[in-house]
Amino acid sequence: MISVRNVHKWFGELHVLKGVSLDVKKGEALVIIGPSGSGKSTLLRCMNLLVSPDEGDILIDGVRVNDPKIRPEWVRQQVGMVFQSFNLFTHLTALQNVVIGLTKVKRLSSTEAERIARFELERVGLADKADAYPAQLSGGQQQRVAIGRALALNPKAVLFDEPTSALDPEYIREVLDVMTKLANEGMTMVVVTHEMGFAQNVGDRVLFMADGIVVEEGTPEEIFERPQQDRTKTFVGTILG
Amino acid sequence: MGTGGTKDTTPLVRSSSGGSEKAPTLQERITASKGLILRIAFGGIATVVAVFLLYLAGYVGLYDLDYALSLLPPRGRALTTGLLATLGFMTVVMPLGFGLGFFFGWARTSKVWLGRAVATTYVELFRGMPPIVLIAFAVLITIVVFRGNDRIDLFAFASLAGVVALAAHSGAYQAEIIRAGILSVPTGQTEAAEAIGMSKATILRHVTLPQMFRVSLPALGNEFASLIKDTSLLSTIGGLELTFQGKNLSAVLAVGGGNLDLVIIIWVEIALLYFLITFVVSRTLQAVERRFRVPGLEAAQL
Repeated sequence: MISVRNVHKWFGELHVLKGVSLDVKKGEALVIIGPSGSGKSTLLRCMNLLVSPDEGDILIDGVRVNDPKIRPEWVRQQVGMVFQSFNLFTHLTALQNVVIGLTKVKRLSSTEAERIARFELERVGLADKADAYPAQLSGGQQQRVAIGRALALNPKAVLFDEPTSALDPEYIREVLDVMTKLANEGMTMVVVTHEMGFAQNVGDRVLFMADGIVVEEGTPEEIFERPQQDRTKTFVGTILG
Repeated sequence: MGTGGTKDTTPLVRSSSGGSEKAPTLQERITASKGLILRIAFGGIATVVAVFLLYLAGYVGLYDLDYALSLLPPRGRALTTGLLATLGFMTVVMPLGFGLGFFFGWARTSKVWLGRAVATTYVELFRGMPPIVLIAFAVLITIVVFRGNDRIDLFAFASLAGVVALAAHSGAYQAEIIRAGILSVPTGQTEAAEAIGMSKATILRHVTLPQMFRVSLPALGNEFASLIKDTSLLSTIGGLELTFQGKNLSAVLAVGGGNLDLVIIIWVEIALLYFLITFVVSRTLQAVERRFRVPGLEAAQL
C-alpha cells in the first residue's frame, strides 16, 4: 500500500535518512523501533509528505506521490497521522476537532460531518466528551480524540508517531487499547513506538532503524528473540532489560 | 476499549447532552453583549457623575460657575464639532491601521523572503519616526505632488494623507502584535492541520487566526487606546478635532482676557470625552476577547 523507495533526507548538513526503503502491506501493523535521532519520525513524516524527501520516492497504491503534480493535501487525506503531543486544536471542542476536517477538507455538510464525528468519538470511547475542550481532557482522552480526528477522514492508513510517549503512565493503556482495536479491525498502521509490549503483541512486522537506515526487519519474534545484527541486539537488550 | 481506566479529573463546564456545538457559543454571545451594554452604561454613569462633580465644584465657589455656564452654548458647539471630527478620524484610522497591521504582521511570518523583507522595512520605517513627523511628511508630499491641479481639493487630499500616515504608524505597531500572536500558535497546531489535508488558507483562517487573537487582543486594545488619543496629532494639520477645539477656545479666551477657570473646565471636558471614547472602545474589545475564550485556558476576566 505504502512503498518507500531509497529515500534520503537532509536537514542542513545533517543526513537524517540515508536511503530507506520499505513496504507497508494493506491491513498490517508495521512497528518501527529505534533509538532517538535514528530518523523514525522523519521517515513517518515523509510518508504523508509533511516532510518532502530530497531523494527517492513515496508510492501510495503504486502512485508516486512526491510529484509536483500531486497535491500534498490530497496525499494527507489518504494517510492519517497521530502525533506524540496530540496537537488537538485547542480552540475547538472534541467534536469540532473531528468535524473540521470533514467540513473544511472533505467539504461535507455540517450535519453529515457531525454524524460521522460522533460515530468516531464513539469508536474511541469518548462520545460523552464531545463538547469538552482539549484543556479539559486528560492526555489519554486527547490522544483518543486525535485518533478519531485521523480516522474520520477515512484514510487508507494511519501513521502513529510515538503516540504514548507524552502520556502519564496511567493513560497509556487506554490509547494502546484503541490502537489494538484498530489493528484488529484491519486498519493499515505504521507505528513508531517505544511500547515493546504493543510491538510484540500487535505488530505484524517490526522494523529496527538506527542512524537513518533500516538495520533489520522481521516478525516481532525475529526482532525481539533472535535479532541478527549487533546494533539490534544491543537496542533490544537495553529496551527489554 | 480502555474507557474503564479513564480517570476523569477535569469537570466539564458544559453538559454533553446538547445536540449542537453551536448552542453554547450563541449563549456566550448573548451573555457577552449583555455584559457590554452594562459596561457601557457604567462608563456613561461615571462620566455623568464626573461632570456633576465638576459643576458642583463651581457651585460651592471653587470657580465662577455663572461665567462658565454663560459660555456653555458656544463651547458646546465647538466641542461637539471636535468630538464628531475625532470620531470621524477614528473610524478611518482604526480599521485602516488594523488592516495594515494585519497584512504586514502576517507577511512578517511569511516563508517568502520578499514578503518578510517588505514587511520588515514597513515596520521599521513607520515605527521609527514620530507620528507627528510622518503626518507632516505625508501632507507636504501630497501638496508638492498635487499642487496646481485644479480638479482636486488639495486641502482634503492633504488631510487624508495625514490620516493615512497616522494609520500607517499605528499599523507598524499592530503588525508586531499580530506577528507575536501568529508565533504564539504552536507549530504542532499547523502540522496537525496539514496532516488532515487542510490548505494553507484554511489553516490560517480556521486554526491560526482563532488562536492568535486570543493572545493578541489585549495588546491590540492597548494600541487602539493609544491610537484614539493620537488622533489629536491631526490638529497640527488643521483637523478640527477635540484637541484643536480646546486650543482654539483657550486662545480665544486668553485674547478676550477671560478667566483661567473656564480654560480648566474646557480641558476637563475634553479629557472626559477622550476617556469616554477610549473606555467604550476598550470595553468593546474585551467583549470580543470573551468570544475567543477557550474553556480550560482562560485566566480571570474583568
